Amino acid sequence: MPDRTSQLKIPAATAWLLASFTGGVALHADRLPLLFVLVPIITCLWRGLAETRPDVRLPAAWLRGVLALTLLGAVLVQYRTVNGLGPGTALLVSMGAIKLLETRNRRDRYIMIAVALFLMLSACLDRQSMLRAPLYLLLTWVCCITFVYVANPEVRLPASEAVRITGRALAMSLPLAVLLFIFFPRMPGQLWALPSQGSAKTGLDEQMTPGGISALSESSEPAFRVRFFGATPPPQQRYWRGPVLHNFDGYSWRRDRGQSYRPNKLSYGGNAYHYRITLEPHQRNWLFGLETPQSPPSPNTFMTYDLQLMALQPVTQTMSYELRSYSATPATDELTQLGRQIETALPTDRNLRSNALARRLRSEAADTEDFVRRVLALFRDGGFEYTMTPELLERDSVDDFVFKTRAGFCGHFASAFVSMMRAAGVPARVVTGYQGGEWNPIGSYFVVRQSDAHAWAEIWIDGAGWRRVDPTAVVSPERLTRGLLDILPDAGSRAERLARGFAFLQTMRQGWDAANNWFTENVADFNIRAQLSILRRLGFDAPQLRQLGWIAAAGLAAWAAATLLWLAQRGPQQPIDALGKGYQRICRWVVRRGRGLGRAPHEGPTDFAARLQLERPDIAARVTPLLIEYAQLRYGRATDGERQERTRRWLNEVRWLRFAA
Amino acid sequence: MQAWRRIREAWRQRGAAWVRRRQGEDTLPVDIQRRRVYILPTRAGLGLAVLLLFMLIAGLNYGNNLALLATFLLMGFTLVGMNLCHRNLQGLRIVAAATRPGFAGAQGQLDLTLEPGGPRSRFAIQLACAQAHALAPRVDVGGSRVELAIPTPKRGLQNLERFEIATTFPFGLFRAWTWVHLPLEITVYPLAQGSRPLPAGRDSREQGSALSGPGNDEWSGMRPFRDGDSPRRVIWKAYAREQPLLVKEYSGAATNWLLLDFADLPELDPESRLQQICRWVLDAGNSGARYALALPGRRLPADASAAHRERCLRELALCQTGQVS
Repeated sequence: MPDRTSQLKIPAATAWLLASFTGGVALHADRLPLLFVLVPIITCLWRGLAETRPDVRLPAAWLRGVLALTLLGAVLVQYRTVNGLGPGTALLVSMGAIKLLETRNRRDRYIMIAVALFLMLSACLDRQSMLRAPLYLLLTWVCCITFVYVANPEVRLPASEAVRITGRALAMSLPLAVLLFIFFPRMPGQLWALPSQGSAKTGLDEQMTPGGISALSESSEPAFRVRFFGATPPPQQRYWRGPVLHNFDGYSWRRDRGQSYRPNKLSYGGNAYHYRITLEPHQRNWLFGLETPQSPPSPNTFMTYDLQLMALQPVTQTMSYELRSYSATPATDELTQLGRQIETALPTDRNLRSNALARRLRSEAADTEDFVRRVLALFRDGGFEYTMTPELLERDSVDDFVFKTRAGFCGHFASAFVSMMRAAGVPARVVTGYQGGEWNPIGSYFVVRQSDAHAWAEIWIDGAGWRRVDPTAVVSPERLTRGLLDILPDAGSRAERLARGFAFLQTMRQGWDAANNWFTENVADFNIRAQLSILRRLGFDAPQLRQLGWIAAAGLAAWAAATLLWLAQRGPQQPIDALGKGYQRICRWVVRRGRGLGRAPHEGPTDFAARLQLERPDIAARVTPLLIEYAQLRYGRATDGERQERTRRWLNEVRWLRFAA
Repeated sequence: MQAWRRIREAWRQRGAAWVRRRQGEDTLPVDIQRRRVYILPTRAGLGLAVLLLFMLIAGLNYGNNLALLATFLLMGFTLVGMNLCHRNLQGLRIVAAATRPGFAGAQGQLDLTLEPGGPRSRFAIQLACAQAHALAPRVDVGGSRVELAIPTPKRGLQNLERFEIATTFPFGLFRAWTWVHLPLEITVYPLAQGSRPLPAGRDSREQGSALSGPGNDEWSGMRPFRDGDSPRRVIWKAYAREQPLLVKEYSGAATNWLLLDFADLPELDPESRLQQICRWVLDAGNSGARYALALPGRRLPADASAAHRERCLRELALCQTGQVS
């Protein structure tokens, strides 16, 4: 059997199909339940074995049917629906895996390519990041190569050739892709939304338990990035408001549901800041803004009575919005009766000692402001300690904190402070969010990380409105000016701490973050607004969607013409071997040296050398031996081995030519 | 269904006539010029277009820029693929085309020699002619030969009006094709069938010399071997002595030879007679006998060479039986 080895080889079309499908699954591997990663792996192996070994059979139709039903059931059990990105992807993976066991004809193979491309699409919808974009490109390329082999199995094209052909085609289509990317008119909103995926929520919670926020401080994941247009606020004012918590049960704080009161009218004063926030997806509805935003940024966002920014849909994708905030926003009207009632509510049977202490301090104080000062003085001078690893608190968390442990994180201080304010009849609420942010000098923006999560208090002062009080700042004033990692050496992951130790690592990290952010802002979040602003920059006074369409169409036509011309021009070119390239190199060198003295099209190497001898003996002295050797190598008789060796030596000499004096 | 097929066939014929008028008759060598290369998306191409449309809508709706970028990239790829497909055919050269005869109900052959018409190799060139298909995986500078086995259902001269050269290389998303009209005919011999024994041998002296060629009877000398000489007449003994290949010549005075006569089979219908004679020609040729052919309006003198056999078969193919009563 002389042909045994070729029989045992997987046909190229099947091999590339396996590669594209596996690639498509790999893009989802970290998000899919294990079963939906294992099944494709198994069927790929099965298919591969069936191709190479005659004793391995592909499963019969009934078995495939059973498998398909089982996997459909598994999707339903796992996701409880087949609608949505996660279950849809799992279903696609399952059906692709089974289809792989029955691909026979060309049509089946095309379907498999379509499955791989769909998997790439769903990966795009799932996550767009700079790191993953090259993977998507790679998968696209593999699918393109698969097209070549599926369409032309008889040609037996070497892989390098298929890679080259498709690579060139993709490279040629890149300008078109960029052009259409910029000018193809985007839609201002969504016609329909993806069903929510129920993926893990990150960041702050709607509930604050003692120690809740300190768990966040271990994560250096970015929560959002902020780019200021114009002035940036000083560190003490970088309070990014998030969920506002009103309900206290003696242990933890919650955002109340259903209860609300008429919002106060504000006068916006102080410093104005204009900025754009790029929010990482956190699967919740709330947005963050610098204290205090003037109005919601877009039609599908709104502001609640306690000045919290909310989106109508959970933030499942990176989201950018622009805001205007003011540093001083006194209320111009009174807190309603209901508001006062809500913001002073406390459980009557809990934290009795601290409540009593608060009432005593209030009675000693001249007014509310004085009372606040006294409570803060208690925190400052009462032996309280700011730590990330506090002891666990008992059921009456405030009592326990104020009288026993006296060590806590921002949440403890905010909780205790608000509880004591309320006990003395001062309307107060807990605000959670982030404080600070790291300046990225490379990208000129702030990164606010999960480790910047913070909790503080807002109290109502009659005649002045809501005022922020940060009890943590009293205990640990550096917390406001420096990052958490600087004051608490244990905070953050090991890698994080290591990076802080070396300046260049820090720079690299910032550079990487800046690049990521650039990608998010300019590629992933590129939208109709950015398109219109490009049009404006191009000189259109009143940019419209229609103009974008025209530009895109004109660009397409121009690209098509350029591609045709380029291909036509390249048509008759001879494929050039190493010898020919060396020869060209010699000729170019002569042109450079001889000021336009070049080989005429009709001249062979020896004729050329002879003419050079007459016109420029100095140049001829250098190149004549090379030209003669070229003629020898090209047309002379030599054994293969000898020719190879001489060609190598000759090429070496030709390369040295450019250094010749 | 039948009506639909008829309509399609009518359209096909009109299209073919239009192409024929547009391009005119070709002469060898045929250069496939840009003007005569037609191109349309394949089913796979249409499928990809639908998929890209879906991706475009999804990308636009979700404002997903990576999906859009991939869509645009694949769109460009498809269009470049169209150009590459067109270019794979354009400039191809047909340097030779020849037919080989076949028997009715079997196959004749069309031999084409293709050259890339430049330094660029061509890949996966498909040829189609009268329900026959063939594929040249590569056409390199040296040229490559493709053989098409063409079904020959009916005796006579089968005119190959046109053949098609097509390609879907490289991506299979588009199919470029052209039609070539060369004056090509396949000679279709009658089907060799019939169970009658070969007619009895005759003496040439009885019939006069009209039908007799070089004799088969009395040894008259030797001459060098010529193509078509029967191996039975080769003097193998001389050859074994390392002499040149020689054949015996006979004076032909009293030789037995066969007359395959159309008129000898009155009980059969004309086509069957031709089929029987075809059978005889093959049998006689195999046995090395000399035979003569007598067809209505055409007679061939007795001979035993292969060339004679070809001539006889050709006469059988072209025979107009309608002239016979």
